[in-house]
Amino acid sequence: DETGKKYTAAEQLYDEGKAEDSNKKFRKALRLFEQIVPKYRGKPQGEKLSFLFADTYFELGDYYNASYQFERFSQSYPKSQKLEEAAYKKAKSFYELSPRYDIDQTDTRKAITELQSYLNAFPQGDHVEQANEMATELRVKLEKKEFEIAKQYHLTGEARSGNYRAAITSFNNFLSENPGSPFREGAYYYRFDSAYRLAINSFRDLMEERLKTAMEYYKDYKKYYPEGEYTEPIEASVEEIQSRLQNF
Amino acid sequence: QGLPLSDGKKYTIGDIKVTGTISFNEQTVIAYTGLKKGEEVFIPGDKISGVIKKLWDLDQFSDINFYITNVSDDNVADLEIEIQEVPKLNEVKVTGLKKREKEEIIKENKLRKGAKVSENLITTTKNYIESKYRKDGYFNTKVAIRTSEVKDTTASNLVNMVVDINQGDRVKIKDIDFIGNEKFSDAKLRRQMKNTKQKNFIRFWKRSKYVKADYKADKEAIIDKYKESGYRDARIVTDSLIDIDKKTISLKLNVEEGDQYYIGDINYLGNTVYSDEQLQSVLRINKGDVYNGVLLDKRIADQTKPDGEDLSNLYKNNGYLFSNINLVETNVYNDTIDFEIRIVEGKEAYFDHITVTGNDKTKDHVIYRELRTKPGQKYSQEDVVSTVRELGQLGFFDAEQLEPKFVNPDPQAGTLDLEYSVVESGASQIELQGGYGGGGFIGTLGLSFNNFSLSGIFDKDAYKPVPMGDGQTLSLRAQASTFYQTYSLSFMEPWLGGKKPVSLQTSFSYTRQFLFDYRSRKADRSRSFDILGVNVGLAKRLTVPDPYITVSHSLGFQRYNLNNYNTGLFTFGDGHSNNFTYTLGLTRDNTYVNPIFPMGGSKFKITAKFTPPYSLWNGIDYANLADQREFQLEDENGNLINTQGDRVTPENAVGDQRKIDQKKFNWLEFYKVKFSGDWYTNLFKKLVLKTSVEYGFLGAYNNDRGIPPFERFFLGGDGLGAFSLDGRETIQLRGYPNQSVVPMDRPSGVSDDGATIYNKYSLELRYPITLKPSASIYALTFIEGGASYDNFKDFNPFQLSRSAGAGLRIFMPAFGLLGIDFGYGFDPIGTDSGAHGWETHFIIGQQF
Repeated sequence: DETGKKYTAAEQLYDEGKAEDSNKKFRKALRLFEQIVPKYRGKPQGEKLSFLFADTYFELGDYYNASYQFERFSQSYPKSQKLEEAAYKKAKSFYELSPRYDIDQTDTRKAITELQSYLNAFPQGDHVEQANEMATELRVKLEKKEFEIAKQYHLTGEARSGNYRAAITSFNNFLSENPGSPFREGAYYYRFDSAYRLAINSFRDLMEERLKTAMEYYKDYKKYYPEGEYTEPIEASVEEIQSRLQNF
Repeated sequence: QGLPLSDGKKYTIGDIKVTGTISFNEQTVIAYTGLKKGEEVFIPGDKISGVIKKLWDLDQFSDINFYITNVSDDNVADLEIEIQEVPKLNEVKVTGLKKREKEEIIKENKLRKGAKVSENLITTTKNYIESKYRKDGYFNTKVAIRTSEVKDTTASNLVNMVVDINQGDRVKIKDIDFIGNEKFSDAKLRRQMKNTKQKNFIRFWKRSKYVKADYKADKEAIIDKYKESGYRDARIVTDSLIDIDKKTISLKLNVEEGDQYYIGDINYLGNTVYSDEQLQSVLRINKGDVYNGVLLDKRIADQTKPDGEDLSNLYKNNGYLFSNINLVETNVYNDTIDFEIRIVEGKEAYFDHITVTGNDKTKDHVIYRELRTKPGQKYSQEDVVSTVRELGQLGFFDAEQLEPKFVNPDPQAGTLDLEYSVVESGASQIELQGGYGGGGFIGTLGLSFNNFSLSGIFDKDAYKPVPMGDGQTLSLRAQASTFYQTYSLSFMEPWLGGKKPVSLQTSFSYTRQFLFDYRSRKADRSRSFDILGVNVGLAKRLTVPDPYITVSHSLGFQRYNLNNYNTGLFTFGDGHSNNFTYTLGLTRDNTYVNPIFPMGGSKFKITAKFTPPYSLWNGIDYANLADQREFQLEDENGNLINTQGDRVTPENAVGDQRKIDQKKFNWLEFYKVKFSGDWYTNLFKKLVLKTSVEYGFLGAYNNDRGIPPFERFFLGGDGLGAFSLDGRETIQLRGYPNQSVVPMDRPSGVSDDGATIYNKYSLELRYPITLKPSASIYALTFIEGGASYDNFKDFNPFQLSRSAGAGLRIFMPAFGLLGIDFGYGFDPIGTDSGAHGWETHFIIGQQF
C-alpha cells in the first residue's frame, strides 16, 4: 500500500544519503519520514523508523529536532540496540547547539549534562573518548565565559567605580571554583593587576593595605607560575609597588 | 475470571485481549503496553502497574481493568485488558446567553468537537461560568450541564452536551447598614468600601453589585479606617446578608469600635548600625500621637511600595538584606500603648555571583557593563532596581520581562547571588516605503540594526540574519525620487574600545538633487546639486554632577557642488561650497521609564556648532569685494559691464553677485546655537503633560561676509527632514504646511529662504492606550506656537504662529514610529486672510 511504499522509498533515500553524503537525499527522506512516522507508532517497524527519522535530522544538521527525536526514541524503546548510539547522538546534538561563549549558556550546560549521562550509562561505549573530549571543550567554554566577564570588570575598572573590586571577587570565585582550568594563570595575573590598580588609585590611608594585598596576589602567581607568560608586566608593577611601599 | 491479584506470582503471558469501548486498534493498544506473548511477568508486579500507569497517563480512558482470564497448567496466563474510553464531545449547546457570550464560554472552556468529556471538564466548566458571572454581580447564576450519548451507528462513544445557564438578575445592594458605630457615620464607613456600593442612580460609573471577594476586602478597609484613627480593637462582630427580593439584597454590619488609643514609648532594640534618632526620623511617629496601626505598619515595611521610605528599606538599601524588623506591643495601659521595635540586623549582604541568562543574541560584555550590581559589592535594593530599568532602556530586551532573581542567599556567610533573566526582543527596524511627496514619487529603503556586531561581519556563522549582539547601531538608508537621491550610512559604537562609555558615531551621506520644474513636473537632469557629507562624533556620559549628562563633540564636513543650479537661494549656480564644522553638545536626560512614553523627568539639550573663523586670518575684505576687478561683472570677453549689459569704465563697474557669493561662501563661516527643553509631568494616572521650549540662533562672525544661505531654520509642518539638502533644520510646528512659517516682517514673495532665529513653545497632553512592547499606542492633544525671525532686533517671543490639535502615535519595533496629527493654525501665513485652518500631518519614524 501507499504507506509501505513510502517506507521503502524513505529508507532507500536515507541509505543513499548516507552513502553519498547528500543533503538532498536526506531532505527527501525527511519529508517521507514526517508523513509515515506517526502511522508506524506502536508497530514493529516503528523502532527502526524513529531512529532513522532522528538520525536524518542529525545528518542534516538540524540538531534541535535531532535531539528531541533521539530523546523520544530512547523513551519509546528503552531496550533498543541502538540506545547507545541514540544517547550519544542526542548528546552530540546538544553539543552542536551550544552557542559561542559570550551569550546565554543554557544549551551548553544541558549538553554537558547529556554527555555526562551518556558517559555514566555507557562507560564502555564506542564514543566515550569523543564524549569526554566534547565535555571538556564545553567546560572550558564555560570557564572562558566566567573568565572573560571577570576580565571585563578589570578592563572597565577605571570607568566604573567598584569594578576593580568586582574583578578581584570574580577572580577569587573563578580560582576556587575552577581547578585545572587553562585560564588560571590569566586569572592569577588579572587578580593581581586589579588589586594593583585599585591600590594605586586609592586614597593614601587605604593604599598601604591594598598594596600589600596586591603583593599577596603576586606571591600566589609566582608560586604557581614562576616563569609564566605575564612575568614581565607583573615584575614591573611589583617594582612600582615596592617603591611606593617604602613611603609608608 | 477476575482472579484476586494478591501475592506476586510469575506467569508467562499467553493471549492478550483488549475489551471495552475503544476506538483504537487492539494491536495498537497491546503494542503500546509493551507486553508480549511469551514474556514472563509477575502478577501483581511492577511491570503490570507500570502498564496501567502508562495507560492512565494518556488521559484517554475513564476506566482501566486488568484480568487474568485463564491460567493453564504450565503457568501460562491469558490476559484481558478492559478499558473504557472517555467519551468525546460531539456537539455543545449553550442556552440562556447571547450569541457572543455563548461563543466566549465555548472558547474559554475549550468545548471543541472531539474534546474529552471527563468529570473534571464538566466541573471546571460549571465553576468557571458561575464565578465569571458572580464577578459581575450575578449572584444567583445557576449552571446545569447535561450530557447525552449520541445514538449513532457510525461513530461510537460520542456525547452531546447542553450547558444550561440561568444567569438570574444582577444583584444590587439596596442598603448597607452599620450598627454600633459612633465615631464614624454610616456614610463615612460606606465610603471606605471601594467596590461594594449602595444602589444610587446618580453614581453611574460604579454600579452597585455584590461580589464576595470585594466585599471581604471592603470589610478590611473599614477596619483599617478605624485603625488609622486609633481604634486598635475595632472589629466587625457580625455581618449579615439579607435577601430582599431576587434582585436586591441588603447588608448589615455590626461594628464594635473599642477605645481610641495613643502611642506610648517607642523603644528600639538590636540596632547597632543606626541610632535610635536615625530610626525615629524614618518612623516619624511620636509618643502621644493617635495610634495608627496602618501607618505604623507602613513605616516599618510598606507592602504597597517596594521602594517606600520605611525602616526595612533603610536597612535593605544599605546592605542589610537579611535584616528583620518586628513590632511588638509591650504594654497597654488605659489608652496608651508602648512599643518595642525589635531589629535583627543580620550580617551585611554582599553580592557574590552576578549572572545573566536568556541573552541569546546580546553578548555578555554589552550587558555586564550596564550592571550596577557587582560581585563583592554590598547589597542594595536601589542598585537592583536601577539596573533593571537601565537594561530595559537598552532596547535589546523586553522591559516587561526583565527579572532579577536572588539565588543562594546565605545569611551565615552574608552573601547572595543575583541572576538577571532577560528575554531578547527584536531590535532591528526595516523601512520600505513608496509614495507621493514633494512633487513626485519617492521610494525609501531603510535598514536599522540596533544591536549590530561589526566584529561579526566576517564571520559567516554570525549571520542570523545579520551579525548581532555587540550593542552597536548600523543604519543604511536609500531614498530616491524623480528628482533626488539620498544615500546614507551610519554606525554607532556605544563603548569605544570597551574600556569607557564613550560612544563613537560616524556617518556618510551622499545626496544628489536635480532641478525640478514644478509646472511640467519634470526633473532637469543636466542641472544638479550634490552634497557629500562625513561626520564623526564622540559622546561621553558624565558621572558628575549627575549621571544623566552627556557631552558630545563632533566634526563634520560637507561639500556642496552646484552644476548650473540657479535658484533663489544660490546665486552662484556653477560653484561649490565647503562646510567644515565642530559641534559641541550638552544633553541632560533623566526621563523615565519607557523612552517611547516617558512618564516623568526632563530632557535638556544645548548645542553649539562652529566653523573656523576664516575671515579673521585670510585677510580678505569681504565688504569691498565689489570694488575688486576679479569680482566685477564682465561679459564673455572680459570687459566690464553693468547689469544692463552695457560696457562701463572701471569707476562705474558693479560687482558680480555670483562671484562675490562664491567667494563669500567658498568655505562657510557661521555659528549656530540651539537650545531645547522638554519636561514630562505625570498629571493623573498615566496622563502625561509634555512641556517643551526650543530656540535656535544662526549668526556670522563677520557681518561683511554675512550669514550663509545654508544651515537655516525652516519652521512649520511635520518637522520631518525629508531631504535636508542644504543643512537646513526643519522644525515641527503643527497646524501649518511644511516649512511655511517664515518671518512675519518679511515681504511676501521672498519665502524660500530659511530664517536665522526661531523659537517654539509647546504643550502636549499624552495618554497611553497600550504600552505593550509589541506595540505602544498613545493619543495626544497639543497647543503650540512658534515664530522665526531674520534679525535679532525683530525677535519677539510673544509674536507667535499658534496652533492646536490632536493626534495619535503608534510605535511598533518593526516599523518604528507612525503617527497622525490634525492641527488647526490660528494665525494667517502667506496669503491667508484669516486663520490658516486645518492641516493634517503624517509622522514617520520621527523622534518621540
